Amino acid sequence: MHRQSLKRIYWMVLLMLLAVLLMNGTVFGASKQVLEAAKVKAAPAGLEDAIWNEATAIQVPFEGKESFAGQKAVVATKAVYTDEAVYFLFKWKDPTLSVVKEAWQFDGEKWSHQKGNEDRISLLFEINRINNFATKGCAIVCHVPQGAPNAKDGKFGTTTAAEKGDLWHWKAARSDPAGVADDTWLTQISDKEGGRKSDAGKGGDQKNMTEDKSAPKYMLAPGKSLAKNDILLAAHSVEIPAGTVFKAGDMLTYRMPKTAEGSRGDIKAESRYAGGGWTVMLHRSLDTDNEDDVAFNTRRKYNFAMALFDDSGDENSYDSEVLTLEFK
Amino acid sequence: MKPPEPITTTKDGRQRFRSDETKTLALNDPFAWLKRITVAGDACAWNRFVGGVLLALVVLLFLSGAFLAFYYSPVPGAAYDSVDFTLFSAPFGSILKGVHHYAWNLLLVLAIFHLARTFVAGAYRKPRQLTWISGVAILGLLPLFIITGDLLPWDQRGYWSTQVRMSIIASIPFAGDMAVRILQGGALTGIVALTRFYVLHILFLPCLLALLLAVHFYFVARHGFAERLNGKQAADHPIAFFPRVVNRWLVLFIVTVSLIALLTYYWPSPLGDPADPTDSTYVPKPEWWVLFLNQLVAIFKGKWAVLGTAVIPGLLTLFLVGLPYLDRSPGNRPAQRKTVIVAAALLAAVMIVLSLMGYFEHFGLPRQ
Repeated sequence: MHRQSLKRIYWMVLLMLLAVLLMNGTVFGASKQVLEAAKVKAAPAGLEDAIWNEATAIQVPFEGKESFAGQKAVVATKAVYTDEAVYFLFKWKDPTLSVVKEAWQFDGEKWSHQKGNEDRISLLFEINRINNFATKGCAIVCHVPQGAPNAKDGKFGTTTAAEKGDLWHWKAARSDPAGVADDTWLTQISDKEGGRKSDAGKGGDQKNMTEDKSAPKYMLAPGKSLAKNDILLAAHSVEIPAGTVFKAGDMLTYRMPKTAEGSRGDIKAESRYAGGGWTVMLHRSLDTDNEDDVAFNTRRKYNFAMALFDDSGDENSYDSEVLTLEFK
Repeated sequence: MKPPEPITTTKDGRQRFRSDETKTLALNDPFAWLKRITVAGDACAWNRFVGGVLLALVVLLFLSGAFLAFYYSPVPGAAYDSVDFTLFSAPFGSILKGVHHYAWNLLLVLAIFHLARTFVAGAYRKPRQLTWISGVAILGLLPLFIITGDLLPWDQRGYWSTQVRMSIIASIPFAGDMAVRILQGGALTGIVALTRFYVLHILFLPCLLALLLAVHFYFVARHGFAERLNGKQAADHPIAFFPRVVNRWLVLFIVTVSLIALLTYYWPSPLGDPADPTDSTYVPKPEWWVLFLNQLVAIFKGKWAVLGTAVIPGLLTLFLVGLPYLDRSPGNRPAQRKTVIVAAALLAAVMIVLSLMGYFEHFGLPRQ
């Protein structure tokens, strides 16, 4: 063989072997849906900001549970991030706007609760690794029956104290009017206590009712206005003065969203219900430095799962498979 | 002290000294001893860098592995958390983990290349049979590092790849089951298996590799380099081992570290989901170096499975080990060894085709 030919073979073989080395990075197994968060220079200004076009949407399938068993839903999901924060955009079909959440209605003589719940979407991330969450998602998180002694805090949690989850809970009636998603976390569930805890700080909602639970206690304060979907915020309410006259058909919010402060108010929300569907944007700092929040490191991947509630309580939901969030 | 005089000079110019004088000098003044060692001029030839890079990679792997061991906890679950911590929280952890990951693959790639080049040059033939056999033994040891190392992060890929490998080993007649029990400490891959793999990976295998490297270098030093591929004799001027060759190794080490660090910065070392032994839906995909073996296992099934798992790989190993004694060609140059070259080329072609088949089966575009 000629010297030149041998040299050529030498380099060809070396380059082929090095190419093989680069192929090695692609060795992975079972496929999960991956939500790729696109890096953007500026934060999205709203639901329709053109910057959302830089992210690719994935269609996340949801399976109905309990009374929704056999039904399906799909949520188009996008994510972008800046140096400071991560932004999620969710769009799903929902023919009915549900924000009643047992609002009070006056029939001319007495107050009663209206029938109806609210629409919600929730996300569960791992703060510390939850055993087998990466493969089984929310199904691995302990669920206890409705009415059980430890169901008080939301009927689910983790099996050990070392396992911690970060639960983002957007509620159309109880958090969205205040511009947030309720920021809660999961810890060990015990025989007596549930595992779902509120983040440090203030937030959530306040029940609007008298001591005997027969009527609302608060109404809109003078000079204030109702929030989105005519929801009365706790911060805009005032105790109903004696002698106030209501007419038949008057309505008052039963679960008044409170102003979220501290770690509980980390997740900001913006939403719109139009054309038979919801569009919801949630955003949060990548790292809040709070122990009850997942800290996002853009070099790593995160498993998360979602649940969807259509005018329903915790007993009825649509659940997604576990997904992977990847920062690109 | 008067420097000792050489008692002889070899054909390629290297000087030999009385062994008792050499030992005394090595103990009293190691630098003087090192400076006195001369090697063939080809040690620094432009096309003889692969062996040096391989040595640099081994050192790099030992160093990065020692760093990773500081953070590692060989307990299922905690193992994953400790690797996750190393990757994303420990200072320079991501780079060092990546360096460890890519260095293994590069080591295997270059070791195969080194073997192939040695084969083409006919450097396995007398008097270098033991240089070749020790090299083949080193190459055979490398997959064991990867197999034991894969399980350590306790992620899905490592766990389920180990299951596949254990089932392949278990299918080997007579010794298979026992080998699996010795490796795993039982029928299941749990904490005992993880501990054993860890000890093998950081203690037994490195010691064995160091021993084999010492043997390999001893024979390289004793029998010198083979003829160049162009047929010319090795450079006839000897060069000083220290600092010339050592400096070259240091340069290769720095260049290798820099390139791999850059690689790992842009493509970080992968860490999959934590291992879930209850998730039987996970199908691990074979690494590039095992694709052809995997394909053999896929081809030979049932009572013929032993052909793919033991007989063919065993014959291949025997062929490589016995090659210096099987090859009766009249000379070392490729043109004088046509039968062996053609046989090896056919063997390589079969392995490449099997690997490609395996690649398309496991990594081909998904059907729409």
